[in-house]
Amino acid sequence: MKAPAERLTIRLTVNGRPVQHEVVARRSLADFLREDLGLTGTHVGCEHGVCGACTVLVDGHTARSCLLFAVQLDGAAVITIEGLTPPEGLSPLQQAFCDAHAMQCGFCTPGMIATATELLADNPSPTEAQIREAIAGQLCMCTGYVNIVRAIQAASHGSSSA
Amino acid sequence: MTTPWVGAPFPVKEDVRLVAGRGRFTDDLGAPGMLHAAMLRSPHAHARLVSIDTRRAEALPGVAAVLVGADAARLSGPIRPLIPTTAAVPDYCLAVDRARYVGEPVAAVAAVDRATAEDALELIAVEYDPLPAVVDPHAAMQAGAPLLYPELGTNVVWHDTLTYGDVEGAMARAAGVLRERFAIQRYASTPLETFGVLATYDPGTDGYEFWTNDQRPGLTISILAASLRVPQARIRLHCPDIGGAFGNKRRPAYILVAALLSRKSGRPVKWIEDRVENLTALMHACNGVMDVELAYEADGTLLALHVRDVTDEGKNLLTPTQHNLIKLGNIANGYRIPAVRYEAWSVLTTKCPSGANRGIGKPFMCFAVERAMALLARRLELDPAELRLRNYVTASEMPYTTPPGAQYDSGDYPATLRRLLERFDYPGWRAEQARARREGRLLGIGIATSVEPAGTNLASYEIITGRRMVSGSAEAAMVRMEPDGHVRVAIGDPASGQSYETVIAQIVADELGLTPGDISVARGFDSAVSPWLYLSGNYSNKFSVTDVGAIVGAARLVADKLRRLAAHRLEIDAADLDLRDGAAVVRGAPDRRVAFTELARTAYADVLGLPPGETPGLEAHHAYQNPLAAPVDAQRRVRSQLVFSNAAHCCLVEVHPRTGGITLLKYVVVHDCGRELNPLIVEGMVHGSTVHGIGAALFEEFRYDEQGQLLTATLADYLKPTAADVPTIEAEALEHPSPFTALGAKGVGEGGAIPGPAAVANAVEDALAPFGATIRELPITPERVWEWMRGAHPHPGPLPQ
Repeated sequence: MKAPAERLTIRLTVNGRPVQHEVVARRSLADFLREDLGLTGTHVGCEHGVCGACTVLVDGHTARSCLLFAVQLDGAAVITIEGLTPPEGLSPLQQAFCDAHAMQCGFCTPGMIATATELLADNPSPTEAQIREAIAGQLCMCTGYVNIVRAIQAASHGSSSA
Repeated sequence: MTTPWVGAPFPVKEDVRLVAGRGRFTDDLGAPGMLHAAMLRSPHAHARLVSIDTRRAEALPGVAAVLVGADAARLSGPIRPLIPTTAAVPDYCLAVDRARYVGEPVAAVAAVDRATAEDALELIAVEYDPLPAVVDPHAAMQAGAPLLYPELGTNVVWHDTLTYGDVEGAMARAAGVLRERFAIQRYASTPLETFGVLATYDPGTDGYEFWTNDQRPGLTISILAASLRVPQARIRLHCPDIGGAFGNKRRPAYILVAALLSRKSGRPVKWIEDRVENLTALMHACNGVMDVELAYEADGTLLALHVRDVTDEGKNLLTPTQHNLIKLGNIANGYRIPAVRYEAWSVLTTKCPSGANRGIGKPFMCFAVERAMALLARRLELDPAELRLRNYVTASEMPYTTPPGAQYDSGDYPATLRRLLERFDYPGWRAEQARARREGRLLGIGIATSVEPAGTNLASYEIITGRRMVSGSAEAAMVRMEPDGHVRVAIGDPASGQSYETVIAQIVADELGLTPGDISVARGFDSAVSPWLYLSGNYSNKFSVTDVGAIVGAARLVADKLRRLAAHRLEIDAADLDLRDGAAVVRGAPDRRVAFTELARTAYADVLGLPPGETPGLEAHHAYQNPLAAPVDAQRRVRSQLVFSNAAHCCLVEVHPRTGGITLLKYVVVHDCGRELNPLIVEGMVHGSTVHGIGAALFEEFRYDEQGQLLTATLADYLKPTAADVPTIEAEALEHPSPFTALGAKGVGEGGAIPGPAAVANAVEDALAPFGATIRELPITPERVWEWMRGAHPHPGPLPQ
């Protein structure tokens, strides 16, 4: 059992780059990414694991960064929205989100992109129902989800525009 | 002329940064030496604060400042209300001697990080003397009820009866009167980004700088300056990207707490609300109970409407009566009802402060009126669509003044409903419903239609106060062609998801003969740079009603100057010049032209080349007041809101008999917001607002126990609609432009939040017709449905006599 304020050193990769950092044991992965690494594209919406805004990819799978302690990530590979965005321009999935206007305030969007990335990796041609099920853990308060579903459909393998 | 950009589904500029996580939200910001704040909140709904001991918190390493109510009362003045009710009671940014709802802040700490600040909260010892909570508004109205403010002598901050037309006569000669009681729950649109502020006190100038997602900066600056006792010129307030607002992002008290902590500590202080604080203490839409009496002739023609409306404000001293008055003008929805009586009570209780929430008051208006219409159709054995068609204000009557004084400016309400019925395939689904019912399946079809007002005329509060303090609806804009010919625009309204950087660029591109790519619209708001008014802000659906007028006005001033400079250069009359493709072009002689870059060079650099009497620069400010706003008249009529869109919703639900669960199978919206400035953006708002309506209908409720404890303080308890809960919202637009806005556009932001709850309720009740259920309250949870299927007939409590 570690004391909450005990400092530990972790080594992991974030967006493909090796990171070594000292963190207090109680620091969440979300706070570590945002405050220690300056990766503010990961947003915190509820801090209790429901809204999905803070979703990132950990070893290829979605995870709520508000529910993980940074120290649990020792040895892991973390991908945030900054890592899902190409150095120039946007990914096809991101472009599909723009084409469909699949966001309004944009606060949920990075988590939504992470979740859609995992979905399309697992199932390149999801049905509408499968898309809705996959993003059911990501709250969007603005769009009513319609354009988000359309964007993911457009980016999927089965779509003519993919 | 070039193709108009307004009206085109131009791709949204903001999306490119937001999709890459490159937005800049309040919590993304920092400052050298910045501290993080946390607040200690009352665990009691109502309690006297006997003592607060902060010594142990102050001694904790890393703590820089601790603030309690006594400090707040010493260092700042009371918070000035927007709507002063009869008696003013001082309300500071922290509770001073009494807490009046669970979650009311009683102390705040600034420390090196948030965790240390929260550790310090646990070291503050508060002695509370609990007082009786008063949770139910009816109980709060009774003599002998516990009083939030004993000095007021009552919890009722406003009660009045407003009568327009011969209500008694209409009731007496009516073929019948439908009498029903409806209740609406507390809910909120809960923007995904919570409230936040970064405050810095500068002792060198005795000034304050704020970064905050407050959506109404004009009003907030005036409140902050008054409380902090500095001139407004020494408040600099910025709004960065705002992660949704919906009316909820307003809390001057929190900004004051951060300001005072910064002043005490001498360092920048950031406070970011957590979700539990957001749900417990930021802002809820009022819950309330409404008695509706609807007098009708035998053919269903409506004669009179009498509404008795009890509004539960919680501890809302900033904007009480808002939910009452904003719906006064349109209390009869889209119907021609010649006589209207509105009797209202605005009541304080020991619950979270209420405030603006998408649609403010109108969702309840629409729920009550549209439920009443559904019940009347049933009573008269008329199709609910037919009953509505017999009673709408028609296109030929526009502009139509409602008895309480609102003016319905444009639209064809019967056409909206008829198109909805076609698009939905209403007859086809009615046949399918009958077939399914024979198989034991419970399908239901619900229609609800609504007016959607835009722009608030604050003069309506004169009805309460008897004097006019603030009035009208206005916004300010600045357009500047820079020395390189690129254009910069700023307004006093910070977007919170409405894609202003795109739609404003489209508007200005049309006015100046440029493309949206040539226009950079300022992100957010900066009181030292953006033009603004007291009325400035992102609220009340006002963009189309005021902001567009300000933008067009400023752009036309720049356009006129470009023409004058070019006319001087070309020695031609300015009236013979068109602005297009980045140049002033002689009409009929397209080879004779001067590029804007050349005119801008003259205006800023080669100023000796200006025509005589012209000042340097290509910059214009314009403030626009919508001409419809007027004071309260002698009959106490007022245009509380100004311009009216309309919509018709139809949805198909299936109720599952074994569980009481509800599946939404189909949802169609036909709406008319006048000229669509950008159909891509408009359609997105229609989808989102409709899902807000569905959330209020089926899921969302701030539930309190009898002690005033909030039982739904997390997103696991306070349920929002997810992608799996809602169908694709099918949206279609009709366009009846408003004659009273700059480009004919009308409001669309509140949209489906208004008729959505009624449409879903009407559908569920229709599905439950075999059980004779009557839906009088929301949300429609599976438990309630299950009880209704077993014969329960719950009824909201009594109204006062």
